[in-house]
Amino acid sequence: MIVMMIAGMAALIFASRYLFLSPKLPIRLRASTQRFLTFASPAVLTAIWGPIVFMPEGQLALNMHNAYLWAALVAIVLAWVTRHVLLTTVVSFGCFLVLNHFL
Amino acid sequence: MTANSGVDRSRWQLFIKGGIAMLPLSIAVLPWGVLAGSFAIEAGFGPVAGQAMSAIVFAGAAQLVAMGMVQAGAGLSSIFLTTLIITARHLLYSVAMRDKISPLPLRWRVILGFLLTDELFAVCGKETQEQFKPWFAFGAGFSFYLSWNLATLLGIVMGSQIPGLEHWGLEFAIAATFIAIVIPSVTSLPVLACVCCALFLSVVLTAFQVEGSLMIASLVAMAVGYFLDVRVNKS
Repeated sequence: MIVMMIAGMAALIFASRYLFLSPKLPIRLRASTQRFLTFASPAVLTAIWGPIVFMPEGQLALNMHNAYLWAALVAIVLAWVTRHVLLTTVVSFGCFLVLNHFL
Repeated sequence: MTANSGVDRSRWQLFIKGGIAMLPLSIAVLPWGVLAGSFAIEAGFGPVAGQAMSAIVFAGAAQLVAMGMVQAGAGLSSIFLTTLIITARHLLYSVAMRDKISPLPLRWRVILGFLLTDELFAVCGKETQEQFKPWFAFGAGFSFYLSWNLATLLGIVMGSQIPGLEHWGLEFAIAATFIAIVIPSVTSLPVLACVCCALFLSVVLTAFQVEGSLMIASLVAMAVGYFLDVRVNKS
């Protein structure tokens, strides 16, 4: 079961990453399509981090005791001001560990 | 001979440069990799299968979700369907990289395709066709692959010794990494609208347990960003 699962997942994920890299696929992208796709990364990544931060236990946690929310706020401010990936992640993760311990 | 070694050197330099450009993300992903390893042990995968997930599947979000589903007793077909939904964003990345990578030989396409993660796209996605260098992308992607797998190994070792590691909130590292990638890219109103829309929709849809919430939220947010962009640049 686990071998099948790993093989199947690997095939699906590689296929999704490779499909449009293949020159044999007979499509050409219009400028408008390419413009649409420039929004892929911010949209998808935000849709992944949003639920982690707002519902860490699987339910909406809009309250003062949600360490994820505070630490994410720190990360957003740091990322905006410094534009530094490593600084942002390290400091906000440190904040998270401390807050998670006390809240 | 000298010309050859000159080519070798510039390739190597590009490879190293790529690794350095990726370094912040390679470090930032470590807690997430540790989580992937320790969770594999927790979910009963054993060390070999746990490492194989990171080495062969190499997709952080999909790995964690799939292992959670195994733990909950889900079947293969529903695991594959969920994988398909989570991984669909890679289609968008490969479309965006098509002009740059599809003219390359098969060997390059397969290697760079395998390494095409959110993080590699964050580093190379904005390059123009002229700026794009396969060896640079390879250095960035491969160093990230190594980092992810070493962190997984560490997680497997720690997970076998420290019980309850998955309750430390290591998944915050995922959020922190993606925030650090996304926020600096918010340089215009359309991108801001896109991000806000993705945030709101993903949380609401997940709260109502809508299947495929990730894809729906992403596509709607992309459409919002695109139409605003068209409007702004017309007037």
